Amino acid sequence: MPDTTNAAKATGLQIGDPAPGVKKVDPILVADNVTRNFGGMTAVDVAHVEIPRGVITALIGPNGAGKTTFFNLLTGFDKPNTGQWIYDGRNLAGVPAYKVSRLGMVRTFQLTKALSMLSVLENMRLGATKQTGERFFSALITALWRKQEKEITERAMELLARFKLDTKADDYAASLSGGQRKLLEMARALMTSPQLVMLDEPMAGVNPALTQSLLGHILDLKSTGMTVLFVEHDMHMVRTIADWVIVMAEGKIVAEGYPDAVMDDPAVIDAYLGAHHDTDLGTLTGQLEVAIDDDDSLVQQITDEIAAESANTGSTDDRKGTA
Amino acid sequence: MDFNFIILAIGQILAPQTIAFALAALGLAVCFGFTGLVNFGQAGFMAVGGYGFAITSVKLGWPLWASILAAIVAAVIFAFILGIPTLRLRSDYLAIVTIAAAEIVRYTVKTPTLNPVTGGTDGINGSSVAFDAINPIPPGRYGIGILTYNQDDLWVIIVGWVTVAVAALFVWQLMRSPWGRIVRGIREDEDAVRALGKNVYWYKMQALIIGGVLAALAVIINIVPTSLQPDNYGTQTTFFLFTIMLLGGATTVLGPILGSIIFWVVLSLSDGILSLLVSNHLIPITQVQQGPVRFILVGIALMLIIVFRPQGILGNKREAHFGA
Amino acid sequence: MAKAPNPTPRPLRRVLGLLAVLIAAGALTLAALPAAAATLADSTPTPTPTATAAAQYAQIWVRVAADKSNVAGVVVKVTGPQGFSQSFTTGADGKVAVDAPTPGKYTFTLDTTSLADATLGPAINPLVITIATGDQGDPAYFLLKPGGASANPSGGTSGSGSGGGHRVNYFDLVSNLTANGIIFGLLIALAAIGVSLIYGTTGLSNFAHGEMVTFGALTGYVFSGILHFSIPVALISGFVFGGLFGYLQDLGIWKPLRRRGIGLIPLMIVSIGLSLALRYFYQFLFGPDQLVLPVPAGDTIAVGPVNLRPIDIISVIICIVFLLLVAFLLLRTRIGKATRAVADNKALAAASGINVERIIRIVWVGAGAMAGLAGVLIGYHQTLRWDTGASVLLLVFAAVTLGGFGTAFGALVGSLIIGLLVNLSTLVIPTNVQNAAALLVMILILLLRPQGIFGRRERIG
Ligand SMILES: Nc1ncnc2c1ncn2[C@@H]1O[C@H](COP(=O)(O)OP(=O)(O)OP(=O)(O)O)[C@@H](O)[C@H]1O
Ligand SMILES: [Mg+2]
Repeated sequence: MPDTTNAAKATGLQIGDPAPGVKKVDPILVADNVTRNFGGMTAVDVAHVEIPRGVITALIGPNGAGKTTFFNLLTGFDKPNTGQWIYDGRNLAGVPAYKVSRLGMVRTFQLTKALSMLSVLENMRLGATKQTGERFFSALITALWRKQEKEITERAMELLARFKLDTKADDYAASLSGGQRKLLEMARALMTSPQLVMLDEPMAGVNPALTQSLLGHILDLKSTGMTVLFVEHDMHMVRTIADWVIVMAEGKIVAEGYPDAVMDDPAVIDAYLGAHHDTDLGTLTGQLEVAIDDDDSLVQQITDEIAAESANTGSTDDRKGTA
Repeated sequence: MDFNFIILAIGQILAPQTIAFALAALGLAVCFGFTGLVNFGQAGFMAVGGYGFAITSVKLGWPLWASILAAIVAAVIFAFILGIPTLRLRSDYLAIVTIAAAEIVRYTVKTPTLNPVTGGTDGINGSSVAFDAINPIPPGRYGIGILTYNQDDLWVIIVGWVTVAVAALFVWQLMRSPWGRIVRGIREDEDAVRALGKNVYWYKMQALIIGGVLAALAVIINIVPTSLQPDNYGTQTTFFLFTIMLLGGATTVLGPILGSIIFWVVLSLSDGILSLLVSNHLIPITQVQQGPVRFILVGIALMLIIVFRPQGILGNKREAHFGA
Repeated sequence: MAKAPNPTPRPLRRVLGLLAVLIAAGALTLAALPAAAATLADSTPTPTPTATAAAQYAQIWVRVAADKSNVAGVVVKVTGPQGFSQSFTTGADGKVAVDAPTPGKYTFTLDTTSLADATLGPAINPLVITIATGDQGDPAYFLLKPGGASANPSGGTSGSGSGGGHRVNYFDLVSNLTANGIIFGLLIALAAIGVSLIYGTTGLSNFAHGEMVTFGALTGYVFSGILHFSIPVALISGFVFGGLFGYLQDLGIWKPLRRRGIGLIPLMIVSIGLSLALRYFYQFLFGPDQLVLPVPAGDTIAVGPVNLRPIDIISVIICIVFLLLVAFLLLRTRIGKATRAVADNKALAAASGINVERIIRIVWVGAGAMAGLAGVLIGYHQTLRWDTGASVLLLVFAAVTLGGFGTAFGALVGSLIIGLLVNLSTLVIPTNVQNAAALLVMILILLLRPQGIFGRRERIG
């Protein structure tokens, strides 16, 4: 996989040796003591974590580690039991989701939320911030927002072109494929011109050819000064573009560091796949494929884990004793 | 046999009742069709607006403009009271709270203790005085055949349809603006919209207010030529409005208006045909049994529309997906 | 949490078998229905003496305070608006109904000369009562005490705000209202659990549930009011036909709609349409007036300060038995556990081998049966009309919402709260806004606890 691999990786991000909760030279987000319980079970329990500014950080961890929940907490979509986090010098604990987004911290969802009853272009336009026509009284006079709408449309078309969705601009988002929806959601998030983009599994379901160009795209974001935090199970992608990797397991941050170092760390591999084996995480591109050709007990273990996970999602009952 | 009922049914096209239900259904479309709020309290908004108008104009003798304003303000306040607690909750809670609130209004205005203010069960008569006072149409009878109107009837009809036209333009403009884009986004997935930095709660509130204000205006058109009766604003009025809105197309601007016309014309026709059949002993039912038939028809129509043609007459199938 | 049960629901089959028998039995009796309806359509005045065609009426009831015995043959003169003036004589049960042609203030004067025992007299005489439109059986109760009107009962400063009315001992009043509240709450609970279970297993907020209640009540009426069967038959028929109705509804409407993958809000709207159509179909069949279920004979029974009619006691017993039965079914049997599993997570339940459709079918049958039974009992407890069910529907919803949607136990507690609220609120507010008070409290509680009292928070994001 060419050009993307030789993109310059950032170095010297942390102060001291890489370790869970290590201080960063220039953090954009600092979270302290963030916990979230569901019934008896602790989904997130992050003592301290800092996200470095201006680089790409990957948040990895096995299914059910609490990554999505952590995203939800940080962006105001869920309320933590304890904790606070400072984004760009502002304490965001208790700030509602829409304000978080306005402050420049924008997220996408693991289960895509493309608005299928709007056209692709309308989805994109919706992302633009500070629109005059979104205010009730201004909305009534087209002249007040026509010009801005045109600018927004131009910007939207540019982005769509980069995500190879421009030919679909006028279609209902409902007609997009799963992968295309992921792309649309990412593009739409970018319409808000965020400072910190948080992508929850952006590559799940996107075809490999497009993945390649998307990786380039994310690297572009970095070059424009944006900070990227993404959750991903595709270890190849993590290794390729991430400057820094944070590993979560059972709600806690268990490791942090530069990609190569972290992914060779036996503790991380254990966290991911359970103890006793010697797979190189860098080859992990899917959740199951890699397990299939490993030894039997591992297959069993992971399948169980996934079963337990799917048993839990969607249920509203108390959950105890999950993976 | 007397076939006048056909002409009377056609007359429904112009009737104040048709106008009122068109306006209120348009308001409902803003809430339900465009924004996805399951507002089962539209009749409550009508009642609140109606009392705001009738009490200020009849009991307090306010000028017309002030009474209209009072109706609007009453609806806005009601929207806040309903919206603040419920718009954060799941949609079925909104449904139950709005329907309950509408009933609370109806029970309350009927309390004998409030008789001096609300007129109790009898409601309030005479809301037309201020309205007719500014009627520029010279006295006389206008129209053809059995469809003739006096100057006051005509005045209500004209003002009513102008109001409908203005309201339709207003909603149309809103919905094609970025504001409309947001509420349509909310209808489908409010978290997605929230993630893009929009204050979803406030937009829902605005939609509820607009729907309520249109209901308040509607009720004025309804009570000016007749009178304000609390029991006209029970739950079945809301359900009639739902039928009307879904019939025409809940996600369209003209749908609720067309829906109201068709609804009342068809009801009037079916009443006429039924009377004809009953009085000529062509079907074995009594006069007393004739009353409920229209409601049975509406109920069945509502079920059939939402199942087989949720987009209504004018809507687009792909947009007619109402929440989860 | 419940472990997912095994996929061999033998008890299920047994229940279905039982159902088949019931249906077969029911089908025979069902054949009698159209005929009964036809006789009704002729609209001869309803047979019972207390039957009334007026939109509102009051109930005179003369009793001796000491032993709560009913006093027959007492003459009460009633005057009211528009020159209304008429004398009524109490029947063997000490009661007589007064049709009020127009709503308004009525004055009830007991003619003391018509009293057999001259040492007794009414505590308050005359009574002034406001009869509002649609009021059914406003109480004009006279309690006879030694010495009569001159001797006002101690603590007679009743807080009753129901537009004047009789003044009784405050403690008695509260006790009676509480008892009534519990009875009404239990009746509502029978219907509410069905609403809650249907919501839990299918997600539908069933606005046509009130019509299931009315259906049961009307079935009971057909059997006991028209065909003159006994009360147990009325109750059983309400239960059986209610269940059958639930079964047919699911088969004919809800299952096909689930198959079509119709969303929950459209489903809710379908239930609204069904509710309108059914309710007015009942009116079409039974007319717009009040119907009277023959009440079992027997004096009221005094339990401490509380006076209960035999039917009240029967109702309470039936309600408690059925509620316990439901609790037992849900907690202890396979079907019950499967039901809870489906309510908890449909996909998971299906994946672990539960026949979800079958469970839903059973829930509909059970909900229909309980609603039907509740209907007959409500018919006895208050009044029976084509819209009896619809008039309690919002209270049922309030109960379910209060308890927390989808939890059966919550529905019971919510129902009791609503029943008590509706009754006790009359101490401070006029009777005709008593329902409003209950609904208002529901809204307020939702403000504080959106998930209801026993509900769990929704999963977000
Ligand atoms: N709303 C909820 N209610 C109850 N439990 C929840 C809820 N949301 C998440 N959980 C539980 O919290 C744990 C963490 O879930 P989360 O979705 O954050 O995992 P994740 O790391 O994103 O996993 P994946 O990689 O599969 O996306 C899981 O065990 C999940 O079952
Ligand atoms: Mg996740």
